[in-house]
Amino acid sequence: MTSVIGKSVKRTDTLGKVTGGAVYAGDVVLPGMLFGRMKRSTVAHARIASIDVSKALALPGVKAILTHADVPRVLHYGSPHPRSASVTQDQYILDTKVRYWGEGVAAVAATSEEIAELACELITVDYEPLPAVFTVDEALAPAAPKIHDVGPGGNLVLDPFLIKRGDVEKGFAEAELIIEGEYGMGRPTPAYMEPNVCLCQWDPLGKLTIWTSTQSPFMVRGTLAEVLGLPLNKVRVLVDHMGGGFGAKQDLFQHEFLCALLAQRTRRPVRMEFTRKETFLGGRTRHPGTIWLRQGFKRDGTITAREAKIVFNSGAYGSHGPGVTAVATASLTSLYRCENVRLEGRCVYTNTPIAGAFRGYGVVQSYYALDIQMDEVAETLGIDPAELKLKNAVREGDIAPSNHPLTGHGLEDCIRRGIMETGWATRRARGRAPQTGRLKRGWGMGCEMHGSSAYPGIKEQGNAVVRMNEDGSVTLLTGTTGLGTGAHTALAQITAEELGVRFEDVAVVHGDTDVVPWDIGAFASHTTFMAGRACQMAAAQVKAKVLARAADKLEVSAADLEVQDSVITVRGVPGMRLTVREAIAAERGIPAPQLLGEGSYHPTKAYSFGAHFVEVEVDTETGQVSVLQVVPVHEIGKVIHPIAAAGQIEGGIQQGIGHTLSEDYVIDPKDGRSLNASFVDYKMPLAMDMPPIRTIILETAPSDGGPFGAKGVGEDPIIAIGPAIANAIHDAIGVRFRHYPITPEQILAALAEKAGEQAA
Amino acid sequence: MTAPITTVAMPVTITINGEARDLAVAPFRTLLDVLRNEAGLTGTKKGCDVGDCGACTVLLDGEPVNACLVLAVEVDGRAVTTIEGIAPEPDRLHPLQESFMALGASQCGFCTPGIIVMAKALLDRNPDPTEDEIRFGLAGNICRCTGYTKIVEAIRATARQMAAAGQPRE
Ligand code: FES
Ligand code: FES
Repeated sequence: MTSVIGKSVKRTDTLGKVTGGAVYAGDVVLPGMLFGRMKRSTVAHARIASIDVSKALALPGVKAILTHADVPRVLHYGSPHPRSASVTQDQYILDTKVRYWGEGVAAVAATSEEIAELACELITVDYEPLPAVFTVDEALAPAAPKIHDVGPGGNLVLDPFLIKRGDVEKGFAEAELIIEGEYGMGRPTPAYMEPNVCLCQWDPLGKLTIWTSTQSPFMVRGTLAEVLGLPLNKVRVLVDHMGGGFGAKQDLFQHEFLCALLAQRTRRPVRMEFTRKETFLGGRTRHPGTIWLRQGFKRDGTITAREAKIVFNSGAYGSHGPGVTAVATASLTSLYRCENVRLEGRCVYTNTPIAGAFRGYGVVQSYYALDIQMDEVAETLGIDPAELKLKNAVREGDIAPSNHPLTGHGLEDCIRRGIMETGWATRRARGRAPQTGRLKRGWGMGCEMHGSSAYPGIKEQGNAVVRMNEDGSVTLLTGTTGLGTGAHTALAQITAEELGVRFEDVAVVHGDTDVVPWDIGAFASHTTFMAGRACQMAAAQVKAKVLARAADKLEVSAADLEVQDSVITVRGVPGMRLTVREAIAAERGIPAPQLLGEGSYHPTKAYSFGAHFVEVEVDTETGQVSVLQVVPVHEIGKVIHPIAAAGQIEGGIQQGIGHTLSEDYVIDPKDGRSLNASFVDYKMPLAMDMPPIRTIILETAPSDGGPFGAKGVGEDPIIAIGPAIANAIHDAIGVRFRHYPITPEQILAALAEKAGEQAA
Repeated sequence: MTAPITTVAMPVTITINGEARDLAVAPFRTLLDVLRNEAGLTGTKKGCDVGDCGACTVLLDGEPVNACLVLAVEVDGRAVTTIEGIAPEPDRLHPLQESFMALGASQCGFCTPGIIVMAKALLDRNPDPTEDEIRFGLAGNICRCTGYTKIVEAIRATARQMAAAGQPRE
């Protein structure tokens, strides 16, 4: 049986990408198109006393200007997962207040980008400044200014999120070692390469079409319709290719509303494209914050209790704050087994840029703290950290953060394999010769687990429609977006496999909310898992219809038929065969049979696992940390497309290295201004910084819920790399860092302090 | 009041992917904008517009440049090659394009045109680059999706393949 599952077939989306023919939202041009631009706030917190647009309106070429007075005032969700507990309803298109430096206050449409930009400069805004808070501590202070009227008050985005299992007091009482620490996280941004962009057009019947770079077109449709007061069939969202999103492009951004309204006002198509600077300013970041973590242990390394307090900085709006906080908090129930936990998560408004969804969704932060603390404990107890983690690793039947029992021993498998592949014991400080020179090397490891799909936090559903055409070719309609992961190829593979046709016979239609089945969006590591399963279900229906027709023609029972590579054979009757095309051929009275299948899948929960093993080199004179090699071991169930899966892992590691060593979007603590909103000042690891990555993928704990046993992989790889690096730095120079990013200055300062202590 | 923007267009002739194009461009327009908006070649991408990301890399008389840092009027009479002009024939891809597809070097693809153009320039100069030379050659091209692993692999595979085929580079 030849199978297309597990084969790295040529991705359907890359031909356009390597030839320049792939169409991204910013590539679309319409006749008479205008250019939109936003005027952004130059203060972090203020009431808008007045806005004067007269000079800007007088500029030749300016066609329309919108301020808060001109747009519908509808309180809406920042991220449009309708009415899910993950997101908050705290935004207006344009408000009479600004809550962070860089927030949009007005929008212009003009005949050129230059004129639109100039017009923005000519708009004058009279701000009545309000006291602003830039840190969580300032925001939580009793006399702190109130940023929002909605929410539970005290600048909280949501009521504290609490999880209690077992008896924490008893757990700590039984502990032979108690360790606690506070871990701090900077403000990395997704920094996708394609700046946010959309193009809006209205037709004479009052229907809006929007081309936009979004991960969740149906959510964009829903929120635009709600806020603009339109039925859903009057909003059409189009997205073909998009240049990355990494979670952040789940939100609906101010410009998407404003562009639609400018197009409506001018009766012309309007394109609005962020500059790179705006992509920082108006984009979304990972939640910065602190995690206080305390754990009790037996001398043999058994964990007896865990207590944590998470405080995240949400920035000026809630966006995904509730979801990220809940997922981060729940994730600390697991990874390393512990029956007694008390966990608390908070998320706080400040007058800083908006934190939102970003690959790893809170778990990056929580496992950074947990995995570094495990290393600290291992050191104190004199146990090898990998052995300590292996001893405590979650396993089959354990209750996952989602409250579902886990399948398989994925995490243990990953740790064991990594230990073996790296020759771990001889690599660590304890097993190797002391280092003398200026360059010190060290090895560290970190672990992770992550859910495939956001269920049960969000009620999720994967859909697919599969149609067989009268020549036997297949059209798959999917609402999932092509984020760049190769998901559409994986969906076509799954469809082909289930249906028994060749991969080449399946064409994927996507990216048009008027045509494709509803989809919640491409996020939460769920596309292949959830939409893939829906494709499988839909394909199975079509297959049954095809085989029923074949059975009639062959005068055998459909149960005896097999189909592969579009050829139908009869089990046990060699030589009796029919092509799919023959089976569905026109008959008297039926020129073309209707062969439609439709799949709707409500996922169960599955978890993927990973352990990252990392070697670093610390230059003790410059403080520079180089990552020399990474051995990521991931257990992700059945792999559909190995190259695409490995690509997710390598890319996640790149972002994780950045988080840990250099990436931090810095906000001036005096006035809330962005200090490094450019690719030069926001330093990401590039070609020369990236180490060799030797990816190992295991398929030892497949999920019953996923197609052919597949699970998710998108978010996993960004999680374990961070603590692995921090732990490797400790192995190299004996200094423990409990935050990210770990900068060269901090390394030097810590080394100097250590030298001072040793001299004293 | 700020002066209205001068939009006096200047005539230029630019040979784009082998075809001489007569265009009228405003003096402040970058080559990137002219390629994308006037010449209709949207394969070249705008990731930053200030020379930081390499998404707009094109060949100017065979040398890689950031098209966002070059004014269109400066390239009057010169030859530009974009991603759309990398393939030797309409039905035959450049080996780099083949390798990028086969080895998974393109994910979201937004960096891909710039990186392929840059890699072509690199291989034109140095047909057998080491891994370090490839990484150095891509120092100005940001890719946020791939970790560069498969990009480096694809460029090396192309170099090997072209050497084996003894193919002249176009
Ligand atoms: S767009 Fe030219 S370098 Fe970024
Ligand atoms: S493939 Fe997305 S930026 Fe390179």
